[in-house]
Amino acid sequence: MNCDNEAIELMHKYLDNDLMKDEEEKLRHHLENCEQCQKHFHELKRTITLVQSTERITAPSGFTESVMEKLPVEQKRVRYKR
Amino acid sequence: METLITEKIKKVKKGDKTAFEDIVSFYQNKIFQHCYRMLGNRHEAEDIAQEAFIRAYVNIHTFDVNRKFSTWLYRIATNLTIDRIRKRKPDYYLDAEITGTEGLNMYSQLAADNRLPDEEAESMELQRYIHDEIASLPTKYRGIIILRYLEDFSLKEISEIMDIPLGTVKTRIHRGREALRKKLRHV
Repeated sequence: MNCDNEAIELMHKYLDNDLMKDEEEKLRHHLENCEQCQKHFHELKRTITLVQSTERITAPSGFTESVMEKLPVEQKRVRYKR
Repeated sequence: METLITEKIKKVKKGDKTAFEDIVSFYQNKIFQHCYRMLGNRHEAEDIAQEAFIRAYVNIHTFDVNRKFSTWLYRIATNLTIDRIRKRKPDYYLDAEITGTEGLNMYSQLAADNRLPDEEAESMELQRYIHDEIASLPTKYRGIIILRYLEDFSLKEISEIMDIPLGTVKTRIHRGREALRKKLRHV
């Protein structure tokens, strides 16, 4: 199997849960024999872990109040019409 | 949760403004975070996140309650961030102060925990580094990486949020992951 195209393509399909059974077998077999692809695969999975490990960000205090103050008043008209 | 949100939205559609407050309150952190990751700085993020909620309110009559509200709301927010990025001056990204340095150590509200100060600093530095690398991805990859790995949307939902075919989402997430891999493999 060609590393650059086929194997890496399969790695990404794996990460998107798109691998068929036979493709999974092919990828596993290739990884057992190709150190470079093993490394590539490991780096990809680690990249995702690093992205997911970033701090959750919270909105500034008073965010909701500030949005509510800025809302247009037009909804009132709707109420009158009904 | 989605049922409760749907009930609130029905009220907003009938003209009950206060019901919208609960919606903003529920989604504020998610939407703010999304804008912050997309834009790379808090001032713009706050501005755009507020605008997203205001647009959602003004256009609430166009929202179909049988659909998922979060997807609709993220679509508004994502479009606004992409518009904002397009309107930036070309040299915007050369300005280090804006792309990221004003980020995590000064402003982020870190959860209190028991890590040692040294570990904390190291981890904050790493967090900031990762944040900056995400922020420096091309926009079309960045949005998808954020939606997938920080907001947990499925690829199909991302295709709805960004209004691009599923196949394109897959190509872009593939390229986005490769781009990030190259940036982060020495971390």
